[in-house]
Amino acid sequence: MEVLKETVEEEEAAEQEEAAVRAERSEKMTRPMEVRREEAPMTQEMLRDLEKKLSDIDMAIPEKPLTFTKDTIDISSLPLSYQSNTLKEEHLLQVVDNFSRQYIHLCPDRVPLFLHPPNECEVPKFVSTTIRPTLMPYPELYNWDTCAQFVSDFLSMVPLPDPLKPPPYLYSSTTVLKYQKGNCFDFSTLLCSMLLGAGYDAYCVNGYASQDMCQMDLTRDVCPLTVKHQEVVQEKEKVPPKKYAVKPPRDLTSRFEQEQETKKQKETKAEEERRLREEEAHLLDAEKAKTDPLHGLRVHSWVLVLSGKREVPESFFIDPFTARSYSTQDDHFLGIESLWNHKNYWINMQDCWNCCKDLVFDLGDPVRWEYLLLGTEKSHLSLTEEEEDGMNDDDDVEKLGEDEDKSFDMPPSWVEQIEISPEAFETRCPSGKKVIQYKRAKLEKWAPYLNSNGLVCRLTTYKDLECTETLEIKEWFQNRGDMLELRHINKSTGLNIDYFKPGHPQALRVHSYKSMQPETDRVMEFYDTARVDGLVKREETPQTMAEHYQGRSDFLTYRHVSFGDRVKKVALNSAESNSRPMVKITERFAHNPEKPAEEDVAERAFLLSEERVQLRYHCRDDHITASKREFLRRTEVDSKGNKVVMTPDVCVSFEVEPMEHTKKLLYQYETMMKLKNEEKLSRHQAWESELEVLEILKLREEEEEGHRLTISIYDTKRNKKSKEYREAMERVMHEEHLRQTEAQLDYLAPFLAQLPPNEKLTRWQAIRIKDDCLSDFQQRLIDKANLIQARFEKETQELQKKQQWYQENQVTLTAEEEDLYLSYCHQAMFRIRILEQRLNRHKELAPLKYLALEEKLYKDPRLVEFVKVFDTRPGALAKVARAGNLPHSQASVPHTPSR
Amino acid sequence: MNRLYHSTEPQVMDEEMLKQAVGEQSLRDEARQLARQEGVLFKDVLSLRLDFQNIIRIDSLWHFENLRKLQLDNNIIEKIQGLEHLVHLVWLDLSFNNIEVIEGLDTLVNLEDLSLFNNRISKIGSLDALVKLQVLSLGNNDISQMMNIIYLRQFKGLRTLSLSGNPIAEMEDYKMFVCAYLPDLVYLDFQCIDDHMKELAELRYQYSIDELKQQEHLTQVQLAKEQAQQEELEEHKAAFVEHLNGSFLFDSMYAEDTEGNKLAYLPGVKELLQAYKDKFVIICLSIFEYGLKQQEKRRVELDTFNECVQEAIQENQEQGRHRVARFEEKHSLNLNTLRDESDLTNFETKIVEYSENITELFNVLMTLEMQLVEQLEETINMFERNITDLVALFIENVQGLMAQCRDLENHHHEKLLEIAISTLEKTLKGELDEDLPEDVRAVGFQKIISVGLLAVSKRGSCKRKLCAEISHLFVDKDTIVNAVGTSHDLHLLKIDNREDELVTRTNSWCSHLVDTIHKDEIMRNRRRVKEIYQYIDHMQNELDSLECSEIID
Repeated sequence: MEVLKETVEEEEAAEQEEAAVRAERSEKMTRPMEVRREEAPMTQEMLRDLEKKLSDIDMAIPEKPLTFTKDTIDISSLPLSYQSNTLKEEHLLQVVDNFSRQYIHLCPDRVPLFLHPPNECEVPKFVSTTIRPTLMPYPELYNWDTCAQFVSDFLSMVPLPDPLKPPPYLYSSTTVLKYQKGNCFDFSTLLCSMLLGAGYDAYCVNGYASQDMCQMDLTRDVCPLTVKHQEVVQEKEKVPPKKYAVKPPRDLTSRFEQEQETKKQKETKAEEERRLREEEAHLLDAEKAKTDPLHGLRVHSWVLVLSGKREVPESFFIDPFTARSYSTQDDHFLGIESLWNHKNYWINMQDCWNCCKDLVFDLGDPVRWEYLLLGTEKSHLSLTEEEEDGMNDDDDVEKLGEDEDKSFDMPPSWVEQIEISPEAFETRCPSGKKVIQYKRAKLEKWAPYLNSNGLVCRLTTYKDLECTETLEIKEWFQNRGDMLELRHINKSTGLNIDYFKPGHPQALRVHSYKSMQPETDRVMEFYDTARVDGLVKREETPQTMAEHYQGRSDFLTYRHVSFGDRVKKVALNSAESNSRPMVKITERFAHNPEKPAEEDVAERAFLLSEERVQLRYHCRDDHITASKREFLRRTEVDSKGNKVVMTPDVCVSFEVEPMEHTKKLLYQYETMMKLKNEEKLSRHQAWESELEVLEILKLREEEEEGHRLTISIYDTKRNKKSKEYREAMERVMHEEHLRQTEAQLDYLAPFLAQLPPNEKLTRWQAIRIKDDCLSDFQQRLIDKANLIQARFEKETQELQKKQQWYQENQVTLTAEEEDLYLSYCHQAMFRIRILEQRLNRHKELAPLKYLALEEKLYKDPRLVEFVKVFDTRPGALAKVARAGNLPHSQASVPHTPSR
Repeated sequence: MNRLYHSTEPQVMDEEMLKQAVGEQSLRDEARQLARQEGVLFKDVLSLRLDFQNIIRIDSLWHFENLRKLQLDNNIIEKIQGLEHLVHLVWLDLSFNNIEVIEGLDTLVNLEDLSLFNNRISKIGSLDALVKLQVLSLGNNDISQMMNIIYLRQFKGLRTLSLSGNPIAEMEDYKMFVCAYLPDLVYLDFQCIDDHMKELAELRYQYSIDELKQQEHLTQVQLAKEQAQQEELEEHKAAFVEHLNGSFLFDSMYAEDTEGNKLAYLPGVKELLQAYKDKFVIICLSIFEYGLKQQEKRRVELDTFNECVQEAIQENQEQGRHRVARFEEKHSLNLNTLRDESDLTNFETKIVEYSENITELFNVLMTLEMQLVEQLEETINMFERNITDLVALFIENVQGLMAQCRDLENHHHEKLLEIAISTLEKTLKGELDEDLPEDVRAVGFQKIISVGLLAVSKRGSCKRKLCAEISHLFVDKDTIVNAVGTSHDLHLLKIDNREDELVTRTNSWCSHLVDTIHKDEIMRNRRRVKEIYQYIDHMQNELDSLECSEIID
């Protein structure tokens, strides 16, 4: 818009005042916007005129609507150091210019150095002074990776005006932070400042990089979030065979056949690999087809972190756009022109024919790295061994001498301290949202609390390179009331997986489903320690439900329920929920160490439809078979019509070690009776589980709709209660402060001021002052009382008058007037009563106040030595009491009229 | 005691009565019907009620091996007997009987609740075996001695005690006394003891209780010490070198050796003896240490062997179980399909297939077992070889050390003989004079010797008699040589005995160990084979029954 306006104004000016203002116009251009805007007041006609004209103009819309130009920056509010150079800086610039001239002379074929570009105020500043090492107050920004991530999130990228040259300007980091955008040099300057502040050995690098890197184009990179961690298979330590380990049985399989088999496998594998390689080569070819014509010429700036400080084991690069770290041998970095930190500037004298792969980052080596300023304590040449021993000390001494002569220490940075407000830190990205396009993936980020459903990050993976067919979506959430942390949507299978943090009301951990309809495929995992029943996992299919348990006192570990088809119900009892009939319940139990294994049931299956119960017992340690028992529950009737309670064929059992008592019918009968009860219980539990599933689904639906976000009580900005509390605290603090200042009020000051200054008080004077002070206070009290009294009387009189008037005109009054009168009376009565109360209170408090002041005066350090011996004056109190003895007011209070 | 059934005759427990009692106990109708049908085994009975039966003598209870609860109240029992076999008993009620002495409860170590209410007991005792006792009811008895309560201090688990109706309950300090001496008690005479009462009682009897506690503590420490010593000795015994960590063997050599003791009083012999003893003890100690080391070695060997064997068995069992599980999965499917199968030819082929499966399983399991047997046999043989070698080496080395002992003894013997003969010669020639003071010289030889001995032994006049005894050895050379010889023989015998004992015990341990290992392996094998057969038989039977039923259909 602003650009637009500018042109409009220009045209306007051209039409109306043509030549007269032409001279002025060029001047205007350079002036800040605000001034100009005021200058040209617009009339309606002009606007209409303009509109017409504008519609005629065929404007080529610039590709990048918002370039980060100087015009958008308000330089008037910048501090002085931004707008001018100090003497030392001037001196430095001279040194730098000198150096630059020498450099151009010596290396005429190299591009000019990026040394002192002008800043936002057109003042040339040496690049090293633009770096302002700052340690951020956020613990998250203490490590390089989080720092880089922050910079890449916080700033939006603006490409260089000329991709083949360093930028014409280098702005301060504060300005960059304010506008939240910048080019690669701004990025790396800010990041370098933060890393240096955090103690890293970091450098800004001016060099050349690939097109992808310069344009922050990640579409050819694989998203780091999609890369699956390859599980490192830990090889088990081979235990040396024990002395008496048994020999393995003889292997009787044919070795020849095995060899043939492995050969075959190898072949297929090789085939597969070849195919893969071909595919890759194909892809590479395709990519190579669109090579960059400017390859190796594109200027980029990034950050180099050298090993040594902060336990960095190896030097590496950080690309400030993407916050990724690269090894110094990476293909993306094609060459280095120069690098600098806040202390010095080095020019690379090594050949970059093989990208950065052969570069040695030993900045102390003057052959490889030409330094600009002498004598910074960093970067000694790493000496070879024979030199190291004897010469070191002498060297140091010599160097010290030299340093004193020639060294020129860097002036302090002209940049203001880098500050990031907590709000900005939390919002991260400009306007809280950021989108990154990766190869076959799109990553979107939001600031917390920006989305009402708590969404903070979304990763969409695509099947094809053009990103049209969605493969899966991963959504990360924060601060959700239902503790939802991550949702994984697989578009191809339609499977949704929700991951929860601990604290869901139903202790849900993972919920994977295809639809929220009950009785469909779903798996729910739970935090079993948070549940009373120790449920770990519940898997459902339309026909079955399997539950896994852990740590139960009844040793149940697994329950599997299969359901039959729903029976068509008669409409009569439609109110009842029509639950599916259970066909089979299988339960497995862990071994109870207190019971002998052959009496401890391992698995029991209730075949409900067949009225059959199968029991399988645990296997004893030294056995390979387990006891089994099968009960057939059919009530039979014998020939005489009596109910047969128990027949031997009711129970078929296999016992590993036959026991006598278990053969008894009585025992079997009792076991069966027990099983009957347990079956009932199991059915009930299965039914309850079904209900729970319904409940959870309902709850989940509600949560999804409501998506309430939780706010930490420490977050005083968002948490309403905390906010109120904080504000109340602040208010209390404020009041406390006021009270304190009041308490410090000096009663004696006006009286002391009357005395000649710098003189010691005499006793007489002291007493005089005290008396004056007291009497003054007394007078004030009396005045106050009189004032209240006067007001009271006035109010009363007015009311009486009004009453009189009412009495006289009562008959002629309209209803409205009467109402008015009544309300007036009401208010007046209220005022009178308040005044009366105040008067009474004053009467009560006045003597006390007087005494308090007297006491205070006696204790006053300035008077204490004089008045100590002096007696208190009993008369004073009486006086005050008199003063408080004010006219009685109650008598004259008029009565409120009544209808 | 007031009996309800005065008229009925006193009864002795017998089978009939017990059967009736057991039969009446089943709870529900159907269960009772079943119990009547087939009878109940006495050893399956967990609780038994025999009250108001006018029983005079407890008898015939030995079948009730697993009885947990026994009620014998309201009878006329006079003597506690016949309960020795009821070791699982937890609950015993003998209230309202005519018992006078507590006895016959020494085997009931699991007893927690004992009621002897309303009897004629006058002394609490014979309850030492009842370490788990929690509830003790002794009301309405004749206990009159307060000291009976102190006896109850040993039951750490005792929480409930009733003593009301006894003469001691009438005493004024009764409650206080009980609370003080039994601080862990919670209920006394069916009342909860409040903390206040406990505090009061503690204050009151503080001194006597402290003293008692001190005594108890001392005895406990003593016991612990003895136990530790016993354990140590056991450990040494397991290493076959007990009592070799000191001068025990040496002392035993001289314990029965009167001659040797006498000879010790000869001049110069004492020093010789001391040196001999020192050397001997050093050798004994080396034997001891060597023995312990060897024991450790054997233990490690045995442990690794056991571990490996266990591992092998476990692995084999795992395989076996896996096979069985797989088979069973298939089997249940098969059975289901078989049951549903209607086509006869199909059915038959399935049956055949199924029986083939069973045979296959049998073969697989048996092969596994045979394989394990072979593997184990090899391992066991190797172990046997190693352990025998170890034991042989141990014996050899110990024998070498023992030989050193013998050498020492021989050496000592020679020295002693020399001294003895020279002394004899001196006495005979009177050359002893030089060594002896002037006034003694005048006295006769025997006296001189005795004095000389005295001087040497520095034992004073009390040994004068002994000296006289020794002196008669110095009659002639033969006597003295004989005396020294007997002493020597005795010593050698002792050493030989110790050596023999060690060797035989070690060897027997070794052979016993090997035997048990072999036996265990055989037993294991038999059990497994039996198990497999049983399982296969069961499967086959199931199949057969299915076939039968199908044919009948």
